[in-house]
Amino acid sequence: MAQAIQSIIIVGGGTAGWLTAGIIAARHQGRMKAGFSVTLIESPKIKIIGVGEGTWPTLRSSLEKMGVSETELFRYSDAAFKQGAKFAGWTTGAADDGYYHPLMVPQGFTQLNLAPHWLRDGHGQTFCEAVCPQAQICDDGLAPKTITTPEYQAVANYAYHLDAAKFAPFLQKHCTEKLGVRHVLADVQSVNRTEYGDIKSVVTEQAGEIAGDLFVDCTGFASLLLGKTLGVAFKDCSDILYCDTAMAVQVPYETPDAPMASHTISTAQSAGWIWDIGLPTRRGVGHVYSSRHTTDEEAHETLMRYIGPEHRNLSPRKIPIRTGYRETFWKNNCVAVGLAAGFLEPLESSAIVLVELSAKLIAEQMPANREVMDIVAARFNDVTSYRWGRIIDFLKLHYVLTKRTDSAFWRDNLDPQSIPDRLKNLLHLWKYQSPWFFDEFDRLEEVFPAASYQYVLYGMGFRTEVGPMDTVDTQPLASRLLHENMAITKRMRSQLPKNRDLIRKIVDHGLQPI
Amino acid sequence: MTNVVVLNSQIHRSLRVKGDASAAHGDSQRFVQVVITEFPHLVLQYPILFSKDADTGAFYCGAMLGFDEGENLFLNDGAGYDGYRPLNLQRLPFYTFGSELAIDLDHPRVNAEGGTPLFTEKGETTAYLESIMSAFRDLRPGIEMTKQFIATLMKLRLVEQIDITVEFDDGSTRDLMGLYTINQNVLRELPEAAVVDLFRRDYLKLIYLMITSLKQVAVLAKKKNGRFLKSTEGLAGRPDWLRS
Repeated sequence: MAQAIQSIIIVGGGTAGWLTAGIIAARHQGRMKAGFSVTLIESPKIKIIGVGEGTWPTLRSSLEKMGVSETELFRYSDAAFKQGAKFAGWTTGAADDGYYHPLMVPQGFTQLNLAPHWLRDGHGQTFCEAVCPQAQICDDGLAPKTITTPEYQAVANYAYHLDAAKFAPFLQKHCTEKLGVRHVLADVQSVNRTEYGDIKSVVTEQAGEIAGDLFVDCTGFASLLLGKTLGVAFKDCSDILYCDTAMAVQVPYETPDAPMASHTISTAQSAGWIWDIGLPTRRGVGHVYSSRHTTDEEAHETLMRYIGPEHRNLSPRKIPIRTGYRETFWKNNCVAVGLAAGFLEPLESSAIVLVELSAKLIAEQMPANREVMDIVAARFNDVTSYRWGRIIDFLKLHYVLTKRTDSAFWRDNLDPQSIPDRLKNLLHLWKYQSPWFFDEFDRLEEVFPAASYQYVLYGMGFRTEVGPMDTVDTQPLASRLLHENMAITKRMRSQLPKNRDLIRKIVDHGLQPI
Repeated sequence: MTNVVVLNSQIHRSLRVKGDASAAHGDSQRFVQVVITEFPHLVLQYPILFSKDADTGAFYCGAMLGFDEGENLFLNDGAGYDGYRPLNLQRLPFYTFGSELAIDLDHPRVNAEGGTPLFTEKGETTAYLESIMSAFRDLRPGIEMTKQFIATLMKLRLVEQIDITVEFDDGSTRDLMGLYTINQNVLRELPEAAVVDLFRRDYLKLIYLMITSLKQVAVLAKKKNGRFLKSTEGLAGRPDWLRS
C-alpha cells in the first residue's frame, strides 16, 4: 500500500503559516479523528515580517470557512474595511490625477460589458463612477455595510486592512483552540531526507525530531525547506518591476475619532509609490521604491514629506523586497506558501490572497497518498506559476499606462524590454476589444478578473476603439444598467454609515451571524 | 423631542395623560417590540417575528401590526383598539429610569384632552397609573428574559431570515424585509438533550407560538384588504370631485 498522507507539518508561524494551517485543518476536520493531523512549528526567535496589511474579499470566505467570527476579527486584530484602492498621481502626476480600483464589479457584469458603452459616451463620468458606486462610497468615507448586515455579508464588496502582528496570533488562537492544530514552538536545526529526496523529518532544538508526510514551507524569505533544503531556484523579476525596497512607518491619528479611509491610498512618487492604509488605531504608511532610481535618504525624505512635519520623530523600518518567485512551488513532499514562495511589491495586495488560494488548493487537492502526490504537485505548480505571472502582468500594467516622464523611474518603466510579451499582446488586443468574459481571465479562481483590468485601463485613460454600430444592440440594457448604478449609488450613499462609526459599533455590539 | 423626567407624586399631582389607543398618540406603528411573556396574548392576532435593532444590530422580538410605515391595522379610528394592545404601546408615554417610573412630558398624550389623572388629590396612584406600573412589571424583566430566549435560539442556530411577500386586492404587493423566524428544519433536527432543555425552560412553547403566529400574516393581509374595500366604498358614497 502506498503511504497515506496523514500528517501535515507547517514550518513557520506568520500569516501564511496560520492561514494555511487553518484552511487545511478546517477542510479536513472530519478526518482528524482518523489520524489526520496538522502541526505548525514556529520559531520562538524569528519575528514575523508582517507586511501584508491589505487583503482581497476572498479572505472573508476563507475566514468564514475556518469558522472565525468576523466580530472577533474586528475586536482582536485591529481590522478595518477595505473597499479597493485609490491610485493618485499614477497617470500624469498632476494634483487632480487619481482613479479607483474598487472591489465591486461593474453593474450587470455577468450580463453585459459596459466598457464599450462608457467609451462611446461616458456622460462626463469616470469609468468607475459610471459603472459602480464604490468610488463615491469611498470618497464619502462610508463603510461597506451596516450593523444589521450579517457577518461576512456585504452591501458593497469589501476586504480588510489588517495589523499582521495581531492577525497571526488571532489565527493561532483559533487554529489551536477550535481546529485542533498542534502548535510546536521550536527552531528547526536540520532536515532529514529520504533516499528519494523527500523530507522525512525536521530536527528541532526544543522539540526533537518531527516527522511528517507533507511539509509546507512558510518560513518567509528564508525559504528553509523548498529553497535551502530542496534547492529550488528563485526567479528574479526585478527586470519587470523595479521597486526593491520598502520603508514602513506607523502613523498615529490626531484624535481617536479622526476619519478613517475605507480604501487603500496609493500615491505615486518620483521613484516608486506610497501606500496609506487606515486601521482603527493607526495608519500604516510605507514608501516602496527602486533603489536604482533613488537613495535611501531621498526615499526617507519623500516618506516624511508625505506623513507631514508633525510625524518627523517617527523612525521607519526598512524592508528589502526581492521581486520574484520560486521556479517550482511544490517539489517532492514539500510545498511553499507565502514569502517562501515569492514576493512582489504590495501594489495590489496580492500576498495574502495568494496564500489563501495556495492553501485552498492544497486543502482541496490533498493527495491521498505519496503515489499520487506528484500529479497534484504538477497541477499546483502549473496553476501557481500562472497566477504569479498574471499578478506580475497586472502590477506592470499600472506602470506601463503612465504618461509621466518627469523621472527616470517612470520613463524606464516604459522600456519595451521590461514589459512581458503576454502583457504587450494584451495591450495591443485591448486597443480593439475590451477585456471581459471569454478573455483569457477565465480560470476558476483568477486573482485579478477582467473587471480589475477594466478599472485600471480606463482609470488611467486607456482607450479601446469602439465602432459606431458596436453598441447598438445592447444599448437598451446598457442604459438600464447605468441608471440602476446611479440609483444604487444614491441609495448606498444615504444608507451606509461612516467607516469608523461602524467599526466602533461592531466592536461594541458585534455583528449577527445571520 | 422628548423630555423624560422621573415621575413624582408631588410635582406631577395634577398631570393628566390620555392612555387610550390613538394614531396621533403613538399607536400608529407597523412593528412593535414585544416580550416573551406577551406571546400567549399576541399569538391570537399578530405575527410574532424577530428583527434587528437598527442601532446595534441586536435581535429583538416584535409583533407585526401592519404592512406600511405607520400602519397599525388594529387601530380603529375613534373606536379604540381591536383586542390585545402590546405593552410597548400601552406604556406610552412612560419609561423606566433605573427602577423608577419616568414620563416624557413632551409626549402628545400628556395633558391631552380627555386625559386621566395619575394621582388622586391625596397623592395616591390612580387605577390608570396602576395599570402602567403593572405593564412595566411585565416589561422590565420581560426584556431581559426575551434577550436570553433569543441568545439561546441563536446558539442553536434556530433563527432564520424569512422573506414575506404579500399581494393585496388592489394589485399592489409588499416585500417585507429584515424579518426572521424560527428555522423549522433545524428545530426538527435538534438533539434530544437540547429539546428537553428548551422544554424545561418553557422555550419550546414560545417557539411553537412563534411558528403558529406566522398564520396571522394572511389574516393581517385580509384585514388590510377589508380597509381597501371600505375606502373605495367611502369614495363611491361621497366622491370628492363632486364638491367643486
